[in-house]
Amino acid sequence: MIQLTNIHKSFGKTDVLKGIDLQVNKGDIISILGPSGSGKTTLLRCINFLEKANEGSIEIDDIALDVRHATKKEIVALRKKTAMVFQSYNLFQHKTVLQNITEGLVVVQKKNEKEANEIAKTMLAKIGLEHKADAFPSSLSGGQQQRVGIARALALNPEVILFDEPTSALDPELVGEVLDVIRKIAKEGITMIIVTHEMNFARDISNRVVFMDGGVVVEEGTPRQIFNNPKNDRTKQFLRRLVPEFTYEI
Amino acid sequence: MGGSFDPSLIFNSIPKLLPYLHITIEILALSVGIGLLLGILIAMPKLYHIPILKEIVTVYISFIRGTPILIQLFLVFYGLPVIIGQLGIDITRMDPFYFVIITYTLSNAASFAEIFRGAISSVDYGQTEAAYSVGFTPWQNFYRIVFPQAFRVAFPNIANTSISSLKDTSLAFSIGVMDMMGRGETLITATAHAVEIYISLAIIYYVVVLIFERGFKWIEHYLNRYLVKDELSM
Repeated sequence: MIQLTNIHKSFGKTDVLKGIDLQVNKGDIISILGPSGSGKTTLLRCINFLEKANEGSIEIDDIALDVRHATKKEIVALRKKTAMVFQSYNLFQHKTVLQNITEGLVVVQKKNEKEANEIAKTMLAKIGLEHKADAFPSSLSGGQQQRVGIARALALNPEVILFDEPTSALDPELVGEVLDVIRKIAKEGITMIIVTHEMNFARDISNRVVFMDGGVVVEEGTPRQIFNNPKNDRTKQFLRRLVPEFTYEI
Repeated sequence: MGGSFDPSLIFNSIPKLLPYLHITIEILALSVGIGLLLGILIAMPKLYHIPILKEIVTVYISFIRGTPILIQLFLVFYGLPVIIGQLGIDITRMDPFYFVIITYTLSNAASFAEIFRGAISSVDYGQTEAAYSVGFTPWQNFYRIVFPQAFRVAFPNIANTSISSLKDTSLAFSIGVMDMMGRGETLITATAHAVEIYISLAIIYYVVVLIFERGFKWIEHYLNRYLVKDELSM
């Protein structure tokens, strides 16, 4: 359903992505792990053209683009198939919680206000923030803001939701509530690609784990394969540092 | 001038001056209104680094900021008919009121452009990325997400500039527009009392400015509705 082929991206003289291939099937929950600077966030941002890759092709559903020749129209069409949850939430500060969710439905999907409000209320119920519908983002905690960010993405009913380190900016005690919401929506069968540093979460939630380092995919497989029986030395090294109780089966 | 100071003249002349207040308000409303729209346009080349246009607006803004409004007024009043005359159109008999509108609009637009430029770049880029990720076009992002927030940031400066501009409208009479100042000058000639009339004018301008300030404060309060208290005090 999603196919990335040979994605290259460089910033100036630094090659950040050196030819990434990734296939995602409908309903997949894929975690992308890797040390800082491995290019995982850049890869995620290349999928919806927040970064324009230098080379490669991106295919989502019925849209297939060669990144070098993608027109503005094609990029907008591709973005309509995706939604993103940001590390720093990026909620629209001048809009209420409800309006943050309805904004895309009304402007992009041309739904009428009533229909958009219905959808937004359903989403708010899902994330447990019905009572904050009329609040402005600045009055919410980080965890609440991120849950609204997730609701905003989910409301669009996209082919895939891209999570860019959704808990990295949160105070430790707020991480749980956000992960719980992601776990909950994961059960609905929506396709997700998650860049995260939460190892236990990645292990529990994903059906496939991709380990990146130095701009390439080093290893990928089921959580069991990656966490319990990694093949590559770099994966082993990374996991040993991050998961203290890490021991792998022989 | 002749005669001793006559305080009653101050209050007697206010009703004679007030019927001309609408001219002042019209000059202000038009020059601020059109100036705001023009200001947004003029801010664009610098914000989005459009070559050539960027250099043109830079020179334009710098010129307006570096020259007195009275000289700009005379330049437009005497210069514009010469330029337009080259095209075979005679505007020498056009109502001076329009020259005033043109000058103040051009002047306000330059100030507003600089205010908007700063305000627009102050809006967190993350929200633009969020809008794009949802499928917004750049234009939808600008008018629905960026501009409303930039306007809040810009508003206190827009209000200040507008109040300065309100006071500057008193120069309009120097090219023959019959506003309050113009009426004041005729009263001075008629009564041979200058100080009293100028005091009346000062009172009227001051009260109008106070009313505007109150109104602007109210709008500012509304625009800030989505900020939490501690952000406001920053």
